[in-house]
Amino acid sequence: MRSVDVTRLGPPHGGATLRLGLRNLYILPTRFGLLWLAGAALLQVVGIQTQRNGPLLLSFVMLALMVLALHLTHFNLQGLELRGGQPRPGFADGPLRYPVHLQSLCRREAVGLQLAGGEPLPPQRLDAGSTTLGLPWQCGRRGLQRPGTVLIRSSAPLGLFVCWSRWQPPQPQAVIPARRPGPVGSGGSDPEQPPALESVLGSREGSEHWQDLRPHRPEDSQVRLAWKVLARGRGRLSKVFRDAEGVPPVLMPAPGVPHEQALEHLSAAVWQLSERGESFGLQLADGAIPPGQGREHRDRCLLALALCR
Amino acid sequence: MALPPRRLQWLAQAVLTAACLGLDPGWLLGAFSLALVGMAALKLLEARDRAGRRLVALLQLVGCGLIAAQQPELLPSVLQLLAAVLALAGLLQLESGQGLAWRVLVRRSVQVLAAALPMALVLFLLVPRLGPFGTGLGGPGARASTGLSDSLEPGSIATLVGDQAPAARVAFSTNTPPPPAERYWRVLVHPLFNGRGWERDPQAESRRPLPAAGTPEEGQGAHQLWLVEPSRFTAVPWDGRSLPLDPSLRPQPNGELRLLRPALERRSYRLLEQGNPLAWQRQRPTWDDLMLPLDQNPRLLALGRSWTALPTLSARVEAARAWFQSQNFRYTTTPGALPARDGLDVFLFERGEGFCGHYASAFSALMRAAGVPSRVVSGYLGGTWVEPMGGASFLELRQSNAHAWSEVWLPGVGWQRLDPTTWVEGGNAANQRMNGDRATATGPLARQWLWLQRQWWGLDMAWSRWWLGFDRSSQEALLNRLLGTNRWALGWLVLLGLGVGLAGALPLLRRQQRLGQDRLSRELAALLRALERLRIVPAAGDTLETLSGRAAEAHPALASALAELTAIHAERRYGPTGRAGGQGAAEQRWRVALRQVQRYRIDAISR
Repeated sequence: MRSVDVTRLGPPHGGATLRLGLRNLYILPTRFGLLWLAGAALLQVVGIQTQRNGPLLLSFVMLALMVLALHLTHFNLQGLELRGGQPRPGFADGPLRYPVHLQSLCRREAVGLQLAGGEPLPPQRLDAGSTTLGLPWQCGRRGLQRPGTVLIRSSAPLGLFVCWSRWQPPQPQAVIPARRPGPVGSGGSDPEQPPALESVLGSREGSEHWQDLRPHRPEDSQVRLAWKVLARGRGRLSKVFRDAEGVPPVLMPAPGVPHEQALEHLSAAVWQLSERGESFGLQLADGAIPPGQGREHRDRCLLALALCR
Repeated sequence: MALPPRRLQWLAQAVLTAACLGLDPGWLLGAFSLALVGMAALKLLEARDRAGRRLVALLQLVGCGLIAAQQPELLPSVLQLLAAVLALAGLLQLESGQGLAWRVLVRRSVQVLAAALPMALVLFLLVPRLGPFGTGLGGPGARASTGLSDSLEPGSIATLVGDQAPAARVAFSTNTPPPPAERYWRVLVHPLFNGRGWERDPQAESRRPLPAAGTPEEGQGAHQLWLVEPSRFTAVPWDGRSLPLDPSLRPQPNGELRLLRPALERRSYRLLEQGNPLAWQRQRPTWDDLMLPLDQNPRLLALGRSWTALPTLSARVEAARAWFQSQNFRYTTTPGALPARDGLDVFLFERGEGFCGHYASAFSALMRAAGVPSRVVSGYLGGTWVEPMGGASFLELRQSNAHAWSEVWLPGVGWQRLDPTTWVEGGNAANQRMNGDRATATGPLARQWLWLQRQWWGLDMAWSRWWLGFDRSSQEALLNRLLGTNRWALGWLVLLGLGVGLAGALPLLRRQQRLGQDRLSRELAALLRALERLRIVPAAGDTLETLSGRAAEAHPALASALAELTAIHAERRYGPTGRAGGQGAAEQRWRVALRQVQRYRIDAISR
């Protein structure tokens, strides 16, 4: 029989920040706490039956520890402040990390956090000051998505009580369509005849087909680094490719493909082209991004895919 | 998720297992304790998750309590305490979710225990205790180690003479032992005579004891605290006059005192001294107390019958005393074996030498022949008064103090103790030796060992007096002193005590939580507190440097000290480590500069 998870109880609290206190913290004995009480009761009975002081005192110590643990477990979370960070976009087909800033004036023992539907973070010690934790979660839908309720809980120091609070962080997280390779439309020299992406990508196959070399810049992709040249001791140089048609492709949803699926194909194409360090643009129904390259350009395109209608 | 190492829990398990040594598996509680400790070990082997390991810690703690119920003495209690601290440390380590240093863990465990102790003591001292619900935890076992014998034949106690094994210790609340002539500690009563020896009533151990006639009030008189080593009998030594303070003690109609605890464990109990005769002394004799085989010891029978012409039983006793004193009896520990038939005749009328068993046996038989109800009692005589450096003074009884004497019943007096050994040549001297230090050690090493043993026993006695001696009657006396007739206030007193205990414990633990940071953090916190008193508080995004800069602007006199503190902190926090001597110098400079900041506040206020 599955035990009831009491930490589901209690309404989630909203707000940009949540300061844990008497109004939003809940505390109940754990199953181990109930067993602990049963153990203390057993020792009471034995102490009474044998008229011995040892078991009587130990049972009273166990009861006193229970009373102490009630307060200590509550204090372990009381005063802790939760604040949502700026979540970075993530893919719908991969794990997402939702940042939560924790501000504390003192050390906290074994604090566990979990987003609804996500894997729990192992209980960890929070030192005084600010700590940022990325809570894992998953989302199958693209767009600006709100993560589930954040559950913060602790049973330190003795595991006799579990103290928890639930918080609904206000900041949504951008979820990019899953990267699923497939046909995408592309506009280039002849917008009337957009070539398939395979042909656009195919012309870039092989890193030997570069036209020129220039000094490697830190922001350049490692993919474009001329490794053979580097091995010959001629320094770090980046390959310069020339587009087949002379202008970078502008990616767009493939015609005839369902919209969401087309966006997923585009997401894969953007990722792939960006990994190769190539220039590309993006044309969507509610706007266009001119051709460019680099990480920022890639992120702009992916965000546009996440947010487009 | 990897759990912290389980070495600490294994260590607790090992200590707990060691504490199990000496448990009586024949007692239900002993068997249950052993099973529980075994289950804890198996669970520890098997447990792979946090819940399983928590359960191990709980089993270990409960195991400590169960063992404490059976072995309350000082040394086992030390082991039980150690096991409890380690079990708690294991639980704390488990819940902290990280591998903390052992020293830190044990310190934290002791702190948590110390914080819980005041509340626990309030409950322990003030919550009224209940009496046992019945005998649900099994009766006393009948297993044995050392002690007196059911059967007393002349010579049987010879095996005890010279045996220096400890038998019992008794401490007196007046810290003064009774005079040597009064140090008769009765244990067993032997009413059945078969012509050769004296037997104990075979039903004595299994016979239902008399119901307790009420527990006397605490504080009415002087107390005796007894610690008795394991023996074969539930009958324990006592002086025959005191009142039992423990409801488990039941005086028997024959004058034995039974303690309803397992005989195999070391037992402790308290008696209240008083002068009035007890019920057992007034108990009328039965036919058993006059039974005598008529086909043995004809000369003894004839002598006894010759006194039946005397009008009173007292006169017959006096005639026997006079006869014993007129004969040329001699005390010896090597009398040789007596013949199986008419052995007492040989002893009385031919050899004339023997020890306490011979004299008690022969005198009691003579009294029966003279028509005086009599019986033999075995127990201990004398003892050594020990005053250890620490702990409580006590009278030490060893097996070599074993002794036998007679009891006769006289009208109007009841059962009366008579020790015929004292009437014979050398008998008094033998008794005096018993009153003296019988545990004489020969070599210097043995003497040192004896000295150490007595010091430990002194501590043990103090432990027994203050810890084991706190029972229901002691609690009642305490509550009377505290509240008098205002018992209605007991609940409020308990609540007040708990509140004070909690109010004292929580700030202490929270302070320890803050102090749990590393040294540099603590020092930085001290500096921040000093600045806070100057109303310089950190703002968002402040570094120590910017904070110190603001403080220096507000208080220019502190500029150099603050700059020094900022530089030292940065150097110690982020600089290279391992420079011998540099660390100490930096700490010294930090202390000087910090003191300057702290004192500045005082100067500023005083101005």
